[in-house]
Amino acid sequence: MTVASYLFVAACLFGIGLYGLLQRRSLVAMLIALELMLAAVSINVVALTTLAGRDGSLGQVVALILVGVAASEAAIALSLFVAIHRARHNIDVEQLSELTG
Amino acid sequence: MSGPVLAAVLAQAAPLAACLTILIGLRARPRAAAGLATLSLVVALGATAYLVVVVAVPNVHWVAQTTWLPVADGPALAFGVFFDPLAATMSFVVAFITLAVMVYSLGYMAGDPGFARYFGFLALFAWAMLGLVLASNLLQVLVFWELVGLASFLLIGFWFEQSAPAAAARKAFLMTRAGDVGFLLGVLLLIRALGNATIPDVIAAAGPAGIFSPRFTATVAILLLMGVIGKSAQGPLFTWLPDAMEGPTPVSALLHSATMVAAGVFLVARLHGFFAAAPEVMRGLLWLALVTALATATMAMVAEDIKRVLAYSTISQLGYMLMALAAGSVTAGFFHLTTHAGFKALLFLASGIFIHHAHSNEMRVIATKQPRSQRAGVIGLVSGSLALAGVIPFSGYFSKEAVLATLGHNAGTAALALAYLGAGLTAYYTFRMVWLTIPVGAVGAEGAVVTAHHEPSGGDRAMAASVLVLSALTLVLGYLGGWLAARLGHEGVEHGPFAFGAGPLVALALVAAGIALAWVEFGRRGAARAGFAERVPALRDFFGDNWYLDRLYGATLVRWGTALSRAARWHDHTVLDGASDGVASGTVWGGRILARVQGGYVQAYVAVAISLIAALGVWLVRRGGLP
Repeated sequence: MTVASYLFVAACLFGIGLYGLLQRRSLVAMLIALELMLAAVSINVVALTTLAGRDGSLGQVVALILVGVAASEAAIALSLFVAIHRARHNIDVEQLSELTG
Repeated sequence: MSGPVLAAVLAQAAPLAACLTILIGLRARPRAAAGLATLSLVVALGATAYLVVVVAVPNVHWVAQTTWLPVADGPALAFGVFFDPLAATMSFVVAFITLAVMVYSLGYMAGDPGFARYFGFLALFAWAMLGLVLASNLLQVLVFWELVGLASFLLIGFWFEQSAPAAAARKAFLMTRAGDVGFLLGVLLLIRALGNATIPDVIAAAGPAGIFSPRFTATVAILLLMGVIGKSAQGPLFTWLPDAMEGPTPVSALLHSATMVAAGVFLVARLHGFFAAAPEVMRGLLWLALVTALATATMAMVAEDIKRVLAYSTISQLGYMLMALAAGSVTAGFFHLTTHAGFKALLFLASGIFIHHAHSNEMRVIATKQPRSQRAGVIGLVSGSLALAGVIPFSGYFSKEAVLATLGHNAGTAALALAYLGAGLTAYYTFRMVWLTIPVGAVGAEGAVVTAHHEPSGGDRAMAASVLVLSALTLVLGYLGGWLAARLGHEGVEHGPFAFGAGPLVALALVAAGIALAWVEFGRRGAARAGFAERVPALRDFFGDNWYLDRLYGATLVRWGTALSRAARWHDHTVLDGASDGVASGTVWGGRILARVQGGYVQAYVAVAISLIAALGVWLVRRGGLP
């Protein structure tokens, strides 16, 4: 398998994630889409470091750190969603538009 | 501090302290305010009397001053007191007249809602004038000069809720300020040339051995005289003084005698050595004062308001004082200032008694309200008028003689003849006023309102007391001439008070003629009660309208000033305001348009952010990587 095929998979994941992020109205669904985009980035990092490095271990380390970051980010985001749900009884982004100019 | 310095400080500090205390803390307690102000003037009177005893009587001169503003490269500006007989005598006159006016005001202003404020302003006036008189430095003089202007502005406009007094106060302030610009420039020139403006140094520098060139002296003299002309209501700038009658009558008494208008004359006397070094300027001043004196005498001949008659007579007499000073005699000018302060204060206070009871300033109205029942007023008005007209042995006779004698020595025949003519006119308009106000026979049955008899109150007694004291002074002050001459210089007063040469006899004859004409036209039973000038409508309008000077100013200066102000307002409203308003509304509109972008939809923001990042990425790839 060449690097290009990894990058192709990552691009597909990123595109699906982007579509989900822009299309879904639920905050939870948007978070899931965001996680897909983050996974695409991780795959890119691992695949591209095999081109630049001697054994690609640096990319794997970065990917592991990204998994940790994604986990903590998901924890914070979910707790925010819970707080929003408690206050407003829904998590539809279309209705979260008080910060309009 | 030595005794005289302490007295000078006390004379200024007492009225200032009274003024501040009243205006800050005693506005709601009129009796306490009046008591405090009067007490402060008693203190000032005592202090200035001490100054007269230790400075004027032994005839000593010295300057006590201390550093005010140290200047890095040059002599420091100083402030202090210039002790000499002139300042000591003048300060005593100021304190005395102010005290008399205050005592009088206890009755005249009783019940006025601004009673406390009034006494605060009077104390301010006294402080400013005493500070001006005792100052050792011209910069200090300038400060107090402006304070005197401020105090008279406040007092002329005392009844500021009415439009006429407010307008009169504004006119007085603006017209005197017009002259003060010259004063300020003159003082600045002196400080630049000399490093300071201490009065004896200025006089010495203008003298024959001094550092000033004659041209410089003449320039500065003209500039300083501009201030004098504004303050002492001379020449083209006199029209504020008749309007200043809108203030309370005791204020007019103060303003016309010992303060405000006297400040200008006093300054010329104070700097006489300096002005004497510019003889051409002095000749110009002489003629300006002479024309003013005659012109305002004609205006007094047709005025119907008793206070306006007195106002014009003040301007006329100030002209005489300045003539004497311009002709070289400090003694004659200052002597006339002193006697005039006494009898003019008296005339205003006496007329105030009539005004108080008749509730009108019009002489013909007062005449119908039983003026004879006001005994003190009658005594005051008659003795003051005798002094003003220059009838022997009242004070005005002696000082006017000194002025005329000075003119006879130094001013040439034409000026002297015109000055004599003015003396005759003075007698005429003065007794026109007396007989119009206090008619000999009964006047106009239609107006003979019988006023209810009322017991004299304490206020009436205070008013009468002031008037009677000043009336007595008109018989005394005339003998001051020799005493002043021994201290200020003998020009014009070399004879004793009762020396009858040709001059005094001519003057007395002219005065008698003036009084006789007034008797024929106004005094005797069945008189027409209309003067020769009043019967010619053209003359009456011309004289009664300030020789159309106010109309001239209205048609020229005021109109140009108004046009300039309109242009400035247009520029301000349209250009300056327009620019800042345009920036503000542009910002608002820009904000409104850009606010549409902030829709509040998270996904829209995400779309924009990602598009921009994608665009940036494409751009970076096409230019071949990061810089």
